[in-house]
Amino acid sequence: MKIYADNAATTKLDAEAFEAMKPWLLDEYANASQSYSFSRKPKVALNQARELIAACINAESQEIFFTSGGTESDNWAIKSSALANLNERPNIITSAIEHKAVLNSCAAMKNLGCSVTILPVDNFGTVNPADLQEKIFLQTKIISVMLANNEVGTIQPIKTLADIAHASGKIFHTDAVQAVGHIPVDVKLLGADMLSASAHKFNGPKGIGFLYVRDGLKLLPYIDGGGQEFSRRAGTENIASIVGMAVALKKNIDALDKNREHVKNLEQLFMRELERNHIPHTRNGSEHSLPGLISLSFDGLDGEAIFHRLDLMGISISTGSACDSKKIQVSHVLKALHLSESRAKGTIRISLGKDNTSEDVHAIVAALKKCFRD
Amino acid sequence: MRKIFCCECGKALTKDETALCKKLFGIDTNEFYCLNCLAEYLECSKVDLEIKIQEFKEQGCTLFL
Repeated sequence: MKIYADNAATTKLDAEAFEAMKPWLLDEYANASQSYSFSRKPKVALNQARELIAACINAESQEIFFTSGGTESDNWAIKSSALANLNERPNIITSAIEHKAVLNSCAAMKNLGCSVTILPVDNFGTVNPADLQEKIFLQTKIISVMLANNEVGTIQPIKTLADIAHASGKIFHTDAVQAVGHIPVDVKLLGADMLSASAHKFNGPKGIGFLYVRDGLKLLPYIDGGGQEFSRRAGTENIASIVGMAVALKKNIDALDKNREHVKNLEQLFMRELERNHIPHTRNGSEHSLPGLISLSFDGLDGEAIFHRLDLMGISISTGSACDSKKIQVSHVLKALHLSESRAKGTIRISLGKDNTSEDVHAIVAALKKCFRD
Repeated sequence: MRKIFCCECGKALTKDETALCKKLFGIDTNEFYCLNCLAEYLECSKVDLEIKIQEFKEQGCTLFL
């Protein structure tokens, strides 16, 4: 038995995306930036992929910049915004439950003299817009709040937060890595100036992603070199992965409602089965969260032990804590949600995807039940 | 150091076996098994457990030191 229930970590590469990638690796391998005729097809593919991806998030094609993934996109958005104003000792505002790609980018900028303001979240993982309003000041240059959290699934009120940022003339970035391809993402409705995404989170290949940068926003290049990506992100274009990403995203967007309903049904079945089997648990996160992402705490149990026990039964999930011999290290997200130590220690994350089935759900619950017989 | 015995067969356990039980039942567990009994209890192979031990050691888990 092999059950993959860690789709928030990565997703299976879509077979059609893989097929679409192959010609650009084996036959049409020319450098898209060259001027000879061999480069024409890769150049066309690059432009078409950019248009396709832009359409999926209601952006313009020139607003899409290909990167190596979500981490690079987050680094670029935050560091370049701060570095452009370094002599003014800029302030960066972010939330306590961001991905490390954001938090560590902020920490790196702090080492260069920037100040960093970390917004708290409530017990459900939601940022209070009033907190942002209160913390913005003259030196604030960029605000970065994730669209959906990777550990508990909470979806943030991005439109409200972006409006607050804009009312003070600040740049607003959102890390939408966990959301793109899974819930509707419309950059115009969200109002974000920049948005990060990563292909492997929506059944695309690993090592490729994009940063949406609103037209007119000045953003310094993060990787210097050649003139690729409108002279803003250097490096020979990874056509195969870019094409694979576009195919995967388009496919997920076309089937968005169907996939969401399927995953939501599995999620509801899972929660019902937990109850039916009398497995005591607490669910973390907000009601307004990503479909299929289930953060569960088993008070008094060890999340890492459950993780390994399920692994031995062929089930891949994730945990919110890790044993460090003498003590348990709890994730920064669970800490920010003010979970008691006992509850945080017993936390696991199950993230169901479009390929999961009701049989998978029954098998996971049966496996969890075995952990409770001890 | 206090000797720990398998709760099923009574065999005296190695450091790896006690550490593995802590990883799989929680650090405060009082339930300890030898590898053979643990494999039977968890319905997995002994090889699976030996691989886990190796992985924990590679990750630097100090329970196995």
